[in-house]
Amino acid sequence: MAGTKRGRLKVILRRGGALALTFIISAFMAGCAPTTPPTPAVVAPAVSADQLVGKWGFAAYHRDEDRDRTIKEAKAQCNRPYVIAKGPNGGLMMNLADQRELSELVLKGGPSGETYLGPPGAGGTADDRIVSNVDANSFTTVWVDPDNASRYGTSVYVRCGAKRSA
Amino acid sequence: MTIRAGLLLRVALGAALAVFIGAGAGAQTAVPGQDEMNIGDQPGYQPSPAEEQLTGAYAKQEVFFRTTQSPGTIIIDTQDRFLYLIQGNNRALRYGIGVGRVGFTWSGLERISRKQEWPDWRPPPEMIERQPYLPRFMAGGPGNPLGARAMYLGSTVYRIHGTNQPETIGHAISSGCFRLVNADVIDLYNRVPVGTKVIIKQAVAL
Repeated sequence: MAGTKRGRLKVILRRGGALALTFIISAFMAGCAPTTPPTPAVVAPAVSADQLVGKWGFAAYHRDEDRDRTIKEAKAQCNRPYVIAKGPNGGLMMNLADQRELSELVLKGGPSGETYLGPPGAGGTADDRIVSNVDANSFTTVWVDPDNASRYGTSVYVRCGAKRSA
Repeated sequence: MTIRAGLLLRVALGAALAVFIGAGAGAQTAVPGQDEMNIGDQPGYQPSPAEEQLTGAYAKQEVFFRTTQSPGTIIIDTQDRFLYLIQGNNRALRYGIGVGRVGFTWSGLERISRKQEWPDWRPPPEMIERQPYLPRFMAGGPGNPLGARAMYLGSTVYRIHGTNQPETIGHAISSGCFRLVNADVIDLYNRVPVGTKVIIKQAVAL
């Protein structure tokens, strides 16, 4: 009896050990195997490209207390507006930070409802801007990249010429 | 900038009476056109405290300075890149400055007409042409190319102002304004009132 019990115990231990070894090897293999990143959910942006097309007074500030007067100054800059045209692929022809040439940028939705403006691809990359406070005649942007955000602060755009109704 | 002959004469007379012994001690006499700095403004750039610490001749210092001008007068020497604040008793506080490039230097007599803390910056049209991504207006604050303070000269477009590019001190860089590092421009700003006489000259006539 005692011998039979000891034999069963050995079998159980052997099987258990094999299972544990299989589990460890599997875990190790999984760690080495190339992982497929989860596909980011494509979120439709809350802003359409047409809303940003036009001529804009363009100004920037670093301190929140300067926002109101910066908006007024942006209106006053319509004698040298920043022009945003529609791109050949439906995007927006704008400058990236420190880039003299125009690029076609697209609007991208973020998982928490934010709207990014940047090169095609996932939202929230260093070349993106976060777009906020959008209405028919103004919008605000801040660069995602901390260095750009520090240098350029918060940008406000105020529509030049005839205002659109909301 | 229109050069006013009458004012020039007065400046020249004043300059003829001034002996810049302090400037001779370790000062670097610049040859106009040879030390122009070919860098653009860097809006938003915030220099480190170490970068803002000037050394040598361009560091703020009290110097011997003989002049007939009253204490409190500012004399700007665009050739040697110094700004002097006359103290009396043949002494002056001397600050290192950046000045206008060739073609943007000027001379004359003005008075400080307005003072502004953290002045706003509007890039000139040619700069927007070169760097179209720049905002057309940037509210004053750290990183602003005009620095911490500005003192406007008469009814001209020129100013004595700070800078976020301390490496430009001692060079010909601007479009005719005079720039100091922020610590120096704050110091000067606190010492001079609106109405202060400012003499700008291009060369010392001994």
